[in-house]
Amino acid sequence: MRPTLLQARITEFSYHGEDASVLRDLAVDAVPGTLTAVLGGSGSGKSTLGRLLAGWLSGGHSGRFRGSLQLGTAAGTAAGDSAPIVFHGGPDDPRINPSLWSDRVGYVPQDAAALLSTVGSTVAEELAFGLENRGMDRRLMHDAVMHAAEAAGLAALLERDPATLSGGELRRLAVACAAITRPGVLVLDEPLGSLDKAGAASVRSLVRRLTGSGTAVIVLGQAVDELALEATQWLVLDGGTVTARGTPGELAGSPGLLQSGVVMPARTGGCFTAVRRAADPHTADHRRRTEHDHGAETATPPVLELERIAFAFPSGRRGKGPGILADLSLAVRAGQIVAVTGPNGAGKSTLLRHFNGLHRPDRGCVRIGGADIAGIPTGKVADRVGLLFQHPRDQLFERTVLREVLFGLDRRFGPEAATKALAALAAVGLADQLEIHPHELPASRQRLLALATVLAREPTLLALDEPTVGLDRHGLERLNQAIGAAALRGAAVVIVTHELAYARATAHRILELRDGTLREE
Amino acid sequence: MSQQSLILPAPGQRAVRIRRLLEVLGAVSIAATFIFLVLTQPADITNGLASGSTLVALGGFLLGAILLIIGVLPTLPTSTLVLIPVALVLNIALGQIMGSTGLPFYFDAIGTVLIAVLAGPAAGAATGALSSIVWSFINPTVLPFAAGAALIGFLSGLAARHGLFRRFYLAPVAGFVTGILAGVVSAPIAAFVFGGTSGAGTGAIVGAFRAMGDTLLAAITKQALISDPMDKAIVFTVVALLVYALPRRTTLQFAFVRRFNVLAGKKQETPGA
Amino acid sequence: MPARLNPLTALAAAAATAATTTAASSWAASLTVILGGVVLAVRAGVCGRLAPAAAVILAPFWLSLLIMHGLFFPEGRTVLAEWGAARVTTEGLGFALDMGTRTAAYVVVFLLFSFTVRVPDLVAVMSARRVPPQFGYVLASTLTLAPAISGRLARIRQAQESRGLVVRGGPLPRLAAARLQMVPLVLSLIQEAGDRAQALDSRGFNGATARTSYRDVPDTAAQRAFRAVALLLAVAAVALRISGQWPDMQWPSSQWPGGVPG
Repeated sequence: MRPTLLQARITEFSYHGEDASVLRDLAVDAVPGTLTAVLGGSGSGKSTLGRLLAGWLSGGHSGRFRGSLQLGTAAGTAAGDSAPIVFHGGPDDPRINPSLWSDRVGYVPQDAAALLSTVGSTVAEELAFGLENRGMDRRLMHDAVMHAAEAAGLAALLERDPATLSGGELRRLAVACAAITRPGVLVLDEPLGSLDKAGAASVRSLVRRLTGSGTAVIVLGQAVDELALEATQWLVLDGGTVTARGTPGELAGSPGLLQSGVVMPARTGGCFTAVRRAADPHTADHRRRTEHDHGAETATPPVLELERIAFAFPSGRRGKGPGILADLSLAVRAGQIVAVTGPNGAGKSTLLRHFNGLHRPDRGCVRIGGADIAGIPTGKVADRVGLLFQHPRDQLFERTVLREVLFGLDRRFGPEAATKALAALAAVGLADQLEIHPHELPASRQRLLALATVLAREPTLLALDEPTVGLDRHGLERLNQAIGAAALRGAAVVIVTHELAYARATAHRILELRDGTLREE
Repeated sequence: MSQQSLILPAPGQRAVRIRRLLEVLGAVSIAATFIFLVLTQPADITNGLASGSTLVALGGFLLGAILLIIGVLPTLPTSTLVLIPVALVLNIALGQIMGSTGLPFYFDAIGTVLIAVLAGPAAGAATGALSSIVWSFINPTVLPFAAGAALIGFLSGLAARHGLFRRFYLAPVAGFVTGILAGVVSAPIAAFVFGGTSGAGTGAIVGAFRAMGDTLLAAITKQALISDPMDKAIVFTVVALLVYALPRRTTLQFAFVRRFNVLAGKKQETPGA
Repeated sequence: MPARLNPLTALAAAAATAATTTAASSWAASLTVILGGVVLAVRAGVCGRLAPAAAVILAPFWLSLLIMHGLFFPEGRTVLAEWGAARVTTEGLGFALDMGTRTAAYVVVFLLFSFTVRVPDLVAVMSARRVPPQFGYVLASTLTLAPAISGRLARIRQAQESRGLVVRGGPLPRLAAARLQMVPLVLSLIQEAGDRAQALDSRGFNGATARTSYRDVPDTAAQRAFRAVALLLAVAAVALRISGQWPDMQWPSSQWPGGVPG
């Protein structure tokens, strides 16, 4: 029997003011040198589990916790396991000292940037922040920072400003900050979320190195990704409790995993193929219409037409920076789904912002339904172009879900607005949550709500920026149905995504953005 | 590592006497400076520019603000502390949004009042004073007004504590009263340190009172009594709109809001639109 | 300005200069300080940023002084021109000149300090001097957050325009639009701050142990001596001014105009 570094026995956990428990009847053990993947869909309670293990929810100020946490040592029972800390869910419960707890159990939240102090002016100082607070001698601190930076592949970035790091670098910095005090257990929430291929690979190699050095790593995720496939053990979390437990080999394809909201590897296809079939231009209905229009094809212009646009961000005084888009042309017809792929930072989001005039091209022109949008304010173009951004929180500003979708809708549809709003909410599966404050929804539902606000306006062009990020399997199904329905209705759809497999499964046409122009994939 | 060390001791009596002393000294320093300035108000300001008064005003108010900060800061829980930088940036960022609306107000205290409503008078006072100090890195002329900013934070926290944010129409009233007091405290700084106010409009008002024969301090105080209460009434209203637009789960995570029942009870009662 | 000046030395120099200038209160002294500040700014290469920043602060202030004291100065005796209630007096113009240059000197000196100081150095020095670490945190964190937040505000505005928000003219619609932008901004900032608080706790901030600093800020005996001398001189100047002022102190309860609360 191998020693465990952390034993968590959770009888029940619920947040204040909520009757339903978020977690119940589950056990987690952290064994040195192993990688445990806790897999669960949106709302399964995995982020709450991460915070609980990290000691962020103890002491009764966040919620009621009944259960116990027990730390062990790698040397086994001989060194003397400490007694379990028992919580009864009352106000007199012990409060964990977060600083000392983090010496034993490190934690990186889903939003890795939240772990950064915001006071370190360089990567090195950010790494040193935890050591400074512990009063470490400066020479020892320099050694520890060097060591941690090398382990995380950050040695070349030590003098960089943390605000300038890429997503993958930021994630590695956060992990290194949590690991610098050498905790035996490291809990990582969605460590690969929204990273492109290169970023994900760098985080994976860091995790491999940590388990190799004897750390017990627990990753929380909602997809069977490459990192999860490397795990020693899987726990499937559904509805706040563990529904299946075993090695990846045992659980792949098991009913417990399939019923949960966990996203399966994209190469198996699965749910995606249905989308394209629904909106395929070769289905009978669509073909009839295409044939009907055939003679007049030159007369009906594409929904979206970019003609040789070029764009560069302004830099310095009246100067222009390096070109992001150069001589780029694109035409998307009604009912067509186009995916734009490319690595982070290639300018995909910048391209999307040209569709409704948030960015204006330096040269060339953008036509929606044949009409040039130059000089028309974005708020007006938005009647025909629905643009969904990466961060749903930036787009939501009303007090309830229903008001959020209704916003500005009466100006477009008049008395029909309420019907349209309810239909859009039903399409994304939020019809039963009309009176909730948008910010109290889980992140994936916020994305679906933002999608509903766009769908309700029935745009002729639907432009989606990384729509899959953060969605679990149920959410992805809703998204795909919505895209399919929009295409069937005759809308043109442009999806920007870094997930090539998703693009292949969804789009009629895949283009890669590289060096400022689009190429056929 | 022993078991006990992982657990924090129950929050009990800590040695807070020195910090209390610092807070009291800070408040006394500000009050004494103000009284001194009002009583010794030099009648003839052409005589030596009243630079003794200037130095007393600067020194006394700044010392008071710094004592307050040193006394309050270490007592704030981390969850309140991290809000202060947010408040300072809001003071600046929301001021910029308001600037773009073309309305003739400063709105440079929205962040301070917001923190005071969520976290209490002490946090509000510290935020106000810190706001002036950090802002002075960009605009040094706000530094001497640190005491007035601290007073605004303190008073708005007090207003929240006594339920003035529970009724929507009471918030602007509280803001108006806060503006009167803050204006009166800040006027000696404008008079003795800068010899006037910034901006042509306020300058014209001061000039009008001077033409009627008022002393500089009296003229600037009267001018402050015209603009400050209006400004603060609007700021308090904006903050009330803002806190009622936040989800209850967010506002209720602040112990001060829970303990003093700062906001109106039911969800449906959210006032304003 | 030497690159590796200890921030405390720069701060002491700025504070001492400002205090002495205020104590001296003569436009000639103030002008000298302004010129000195400009020379140092040019040598440090920050004049391009400092000049517009100072101009934005000082231009409305000078205009205001000119209106206030140039036109209305009841204490003035030497009248140069007169239109109705407005009287241009030598004393008024002199007062405006004195106040204008004194404030300009103060602004230039402190902007020179803040534009040349390295904030991380300043924070490191302060934490070594037992200033509560929370103060350094607030200072550094504000300066980090400011650009991030203005970037986010731009994103929010874009997202809302993409949802069909058209900002129309007139103060009320604009105010409503501003509120729609503030809600998501404030909300996400407060929620992130909650997470950051727990992260800071878990990284040992606010702990009982004394803090050390990763950053090594050099200090020399010469700089220490300079700081002591500068502060002593400033204290002497202030003491001299206040003691010179003291005998003239009046207790003019009658001079406080009625109707103003005191």
